[in-house]
Amino acid sequence: MGLLNTLLGRTKPVQSNLDALFALPSASITLQSAAGMSCSGKAGVCFKPPSGQGFEEMQAEVVKLLSMDGAAGLRRAKDSYDYDWLLVENADIEELVTQVHMVNSSLADAGWGPQLLCSVFGLAQLPPVPDDSGGSAAGLPTAGPGAVLPSTAFLVYLFKRGTFYPFDIEQELRLKSLVADDLVIESDLDRWFPLWDLPVG
Amino acid sequence: MSTARNIPGDRGLTLRMFTTGLLLVILYGAVVGLLIAFGVPLVAVLVFAGAILFVQYWFSDKIALFGMGGRLVTPEQAPQLHGAIDRLCALADMKKPRVAIANTDVPNAFATGRSPNNAVVCATTGLMRRLDEPELEAVLAHELSHVAHRDVAVMTIASFLGMVAGLITRIMLWTGLLGGFGGGRNNSQGGQNVALIELGVLVVSVVVYAISFLLTMALSRYRELAADRSGALLTGRPSALASALVKVTGDLARIPSRDLRSTFNAFYFTPAIVKNGVSLSNLFSTHPSLDKRLAQLATIEAELGRAA
Repeated sequence: MGLLNTLLGRTKPVQSNLDALFALPSASITLQSAAGMSCSGKAGVCFKPPSGQGFEEMQAEVVKLLSMDGAAGLRRAKDSYDYDWLLVENADIEELVTQVHMVNSSLADAGWGPQLLCSVFGLAQLPPVPDDSGGSAAGLPTAGPGAVLPSTAFLVYLFKRGTFYPFDIEQELRLKSLVADDLVIESDLDRWFPLWDLPVG
Repeated sequence: MSTARNIPGDRGLTLRMFTTGLLLVILYGAVVGLLIAFGVPLVAVLVFAGAILFVQYWFSDKIALFGMGGRLVTPEQAPQLHGAIDRLCALADMKKPRVAIANTDVPNAFATGRSPNNAVVCATTGLMRRLDEPELEAVLAHELSHVAHRDVAVMTIASFLGMVAGLITRIMLWTGLLGGFGGGRNNSQGGQNVALIELGVLVVSVVVYAISFLLTMALSRYRELAADRSGALLTGRPSALASALVKVTGDLARIPSRDLRSTFNAFYFTPAIVKNGVSLSNLFSTHPSLDKRLAQLATIEAELGRAA
């Protein structure tokens, strides 16, 4: 198919690959024990909004579904590159991943997979005094927004590749080595593109 | 091509492109057969033409960058341009090409390089100054589509035959003019035969050159339409590409510019040849007419609106 597509000058829009997302909670636990970091509870899904009413309606639908699911801190944002973000907050990392997955899969199922760029999960340095009891795995669904921390580093999930890479200029490679056992890390460093002015706080 | 959004592929475009390619191949076969039948020293010509094209192909990135005065830029030097390309590449799941900027007020962009691994995408300062973010992104998506479609390789191969025919025509004319057709032969009968054969080769190569030129131009226009299409689907905004086209074409018509497109080293966004006064027939142009490109984008826009 590759040669034929070349001869005929066409490309297939690339579909998303979502399965690797679910490895995130275990990576968060590893980070917590090894580096005193954990997921900040903030995440965002980034996509290229196409023109047309169809996508707009779909996006509204997803937001409605998420809020019915009890998602807190739901917010829409636009970045300086004209990409749209759907931002989610949840102190429970398992729920956060499920919600991010839901946003992605509903968009992909509706046929908008090619528009998905990446998902970003915030990482936060935990306070030195260990109070991680309310942290990652044990959180109740009612975990308040108080447990959500400001993000200092990020894990970027590339949909089209099904891979992760850390985004934090100073300690990218250290972070990578920490989570390499848990996550599928993007091996091509050229694809670790920087995401400046992230709306994921 | 059926996309996830149930947007049908452009069958007509695919068919036209396929037919053009097929005609080129048939023509190529016929020419080689004829030349062998005539007993022309074919190998020398083929090797010579092949060598020239190979150099053009292999160094396409350097030739095009040099011709346009483009220089490679780092992400620090051009963060916005790099950022836009980063994201488009992640969206399309392709390797990021090198990024260059040409310091000229002519609003244009081009993609070059023999393979996606060696690709360069270059934008002019004139283009970046005139277009807003979504429009610039649309142009970049068009150029990235050229890279993904391997248009440099395809067009180099497609223009091979025309090059061979052109070379033969020139060689025949030169030797014919210098030595007189079949001149210098003692045997008048044999001399006449040779003259006839040489004249025949000349006529055939002129005809082949003309036909292959038309076919190559047609193929180039189809590749442009295909890149418009893929680019518009990548950003999901055909209208941004359309408005970029209108802006750039309008400005180009007012700016005197030299012909930068004599070879297929690079794939420009709009043709740099500006026709003043009498417009050349569409048959001779490398790019489809503005109307045709806008019409295709409008169709895609409608398809995007319907798909949900």
